Amino acid sequence: MSYLLGALKWLDRNAERTLILIAYSSMAMIIVYAVFERYVFSTQIPWSTSIPIYLFLWVTWMGCSYNVKKRTHLSFNELRQRMPYKVQFACMWLDALLWVGFGCLVTYYTVAQTQLAYNNFAIVQGTDNVMLWWFYLATPVAWSLLMIRALQNLWSDIQRYRKGQPFLVDTQTVGAD
Amino acid sequence: MDQSLLIALVTVGVLFLFLIGVPIFLVIGFWVVGVSIAIDFTLANVGVTLFQGLNFFGLLSLPLFILTGDLIASAGIAQRLAKFAHACLSWMRGGLGMATIGSCGLFAAISGSNSATTATIGSIMHPLLIKDGYDSRFAAATAAAGGTVGIIIPPSIIFIVYGFLMNLSISDLFIAGILPGMLMVIAMQGVCWWMCRKNGWGTVTPFDMKCMLRTARDAYLGFFAIFIVIFGIYSGIFSPTEAAAITVGFCLLAGLLITREIHWRNLPNILLRSGQLTGMLAPMIAISIVMQQVLGLLGANEAVANFISWFGDSRILVLMLCMAIVLAAGCILESLPVTVILAPILAPIAVASGVDPVHFSVIFLVGAAIGFVTPPFGLNLFVASGVTGIPYSRLVRFAMLYMLGLLAAWILIALVPWLSLGLLPK
Repeated sequence: MSYLLGALKWLDRNAERTLILIAYSSMAMIIVYAVFERYVFSTQIPWSTSIPIYLFLWVTWMGCSYNVKKRTHLSFNELRQRMPYKVQFACMWLDALLWVGFGCLVTYYTVAQTQLAYNNFAIVQGTDNVMLWWFYLATPVAWSLLMIRALQNLWSDIQRYRKGQPFLVDTQTVGAD
Repeated sequence: MDQSLLIALVTVGVLFLFLIGVPIFLVIGFWVVGVSIAIDFTLANVGVTLFQGLNFFGLLSLPLFILTGDLIASAGIAQRLAKFAHACLSWMRGGLGMATIGSCGLFAAISGSNSATTATIGSIMHPLLIKDGYDSRFAAATAAAGGTVGIIIPPSIIFIVYGFLMNLSISDLFIAGILPGMLMVIAMQGVCWWMCRKNGWGTVTPFDMKCMLRTARDAYLGFFAIFIVIFGIYSGIFSPTEAAAITVGFCLLAGLLITREIHWRNLPNILLRSGQLTGMLAPMIAISIVMQQVLGLLGANEAVANFISWFGDSRILVLMLCMAIVLAAGCILESLPVTVILAPILAPIAVASGVDPVHFSVIFLVGAAIGFVTPPFGLNLFVASGVTGIPYSRLVRFAMLYMLGLLAAWILIALVPWLSLGLLPK
């Protein structure tokens, strides 16, 4: 039981981080190597233009979830910063509900797409046995995680509200640190 | 209920969500969902497009150029470029301030991000500017204004987004940004020189050729990276994605083996920072593709054509209107939402009135870039405030001076298409 809890805590801290690092570094390495190979050896791996695109899907949607976790998605929050405390709290609820609502929609339809690729034994272009659904899984998995992050944020906002602490309503400057 | 009324209600509803600070991704997403329901269009399209919309090899230059920006900042290449710029301009009044803007231009020629440009050059140059007798607020505003060229001088993350959304060659857009970016740098340097002359800021040292050559030699890594990007794309040897890949490989090796300022243990953080930025930009691209599809279903093209007919043949009037809208939107929004929301609406209007699509893209994005230093939401001002510790509100007055210079450059770019189109291959 403690192992399971430990694993869950590790996943909570590192799920997006680990998947982004794996997908981003693999994507960059494949493209860099493919360009090098093309110019130096005049040859090219057949999947060097397809797999990076699918890895990009993992980076994109895991990054999207990570931004929800860090509350760094772009928004116009000039007015929200000036709102009364209780109205800000209501806005925090609204954010969470909207993320979960949209997440349910995206997950529902992307699971259907993934299932289609799985049932058809679709493979990635340029490969013999790399299944397409491994990459298509990025969107439903990341959006499921994203919904959990939205609910976690809501929970921490409720805690803040109970203690009368200010909410995190800052201006996003991701990439600036 | 009438379909048009439903669409109007949905639009008002999401505008309200926008105003109360709901993330812009959700604002666009719920507009798409609401309108799709109103016009009885399948919601499966949202899922499919979020899936397939990003399936384009050219778009991979986006995460790679984001990574390049983080790598050159970490590898110490930016610092060497800044020293070179200072050695070139220290003989003039306000030379260090002008060198800050010049360094932003050089940094922008390798990186494609405005905030990375402002943060990196700002943190390097701000302490030096203060030491040299500059007003600290003016020094911070200089870094913020200089960062605007980050998305105009190639490579540019926003040009990639614009090219992808509007189906334009990203290489052409990059080339089109070269002269306008340089013009913006010169305009801001002019403002800096005038302000320093008026207030007596900064010291003047005689021009030292040896010092300039020495700093140029130290900055060779930066020049080589700029050469790869600009020459590679301009000559057609590399596609933007290939140029991005080579620059990533080069900056990584340079940081690990030559400058030794990147350590293996820092790489995960660099990648994560780039991944976070990619995770903010790419979902916005995906959702805006769905928005474009829905706009198409609503007959936006016909509406645009009708709109154009009001103005007759006045290209200048249409351009002025588009520029005013972009500038107003840039005051409250970051360049990415300005691009994904307004480009699909304004670009067809401008093109239908006779403006070249590549020329319009430059006009549009220079306007979006000016938005980085316009209150109330001037992202570069927030970034400069963050790296210098000077409150945002105290930067605004000085940023306004730079904005005047940038507006003059913008009008010139709009009136002289050659500035954007002159370097394009015939």
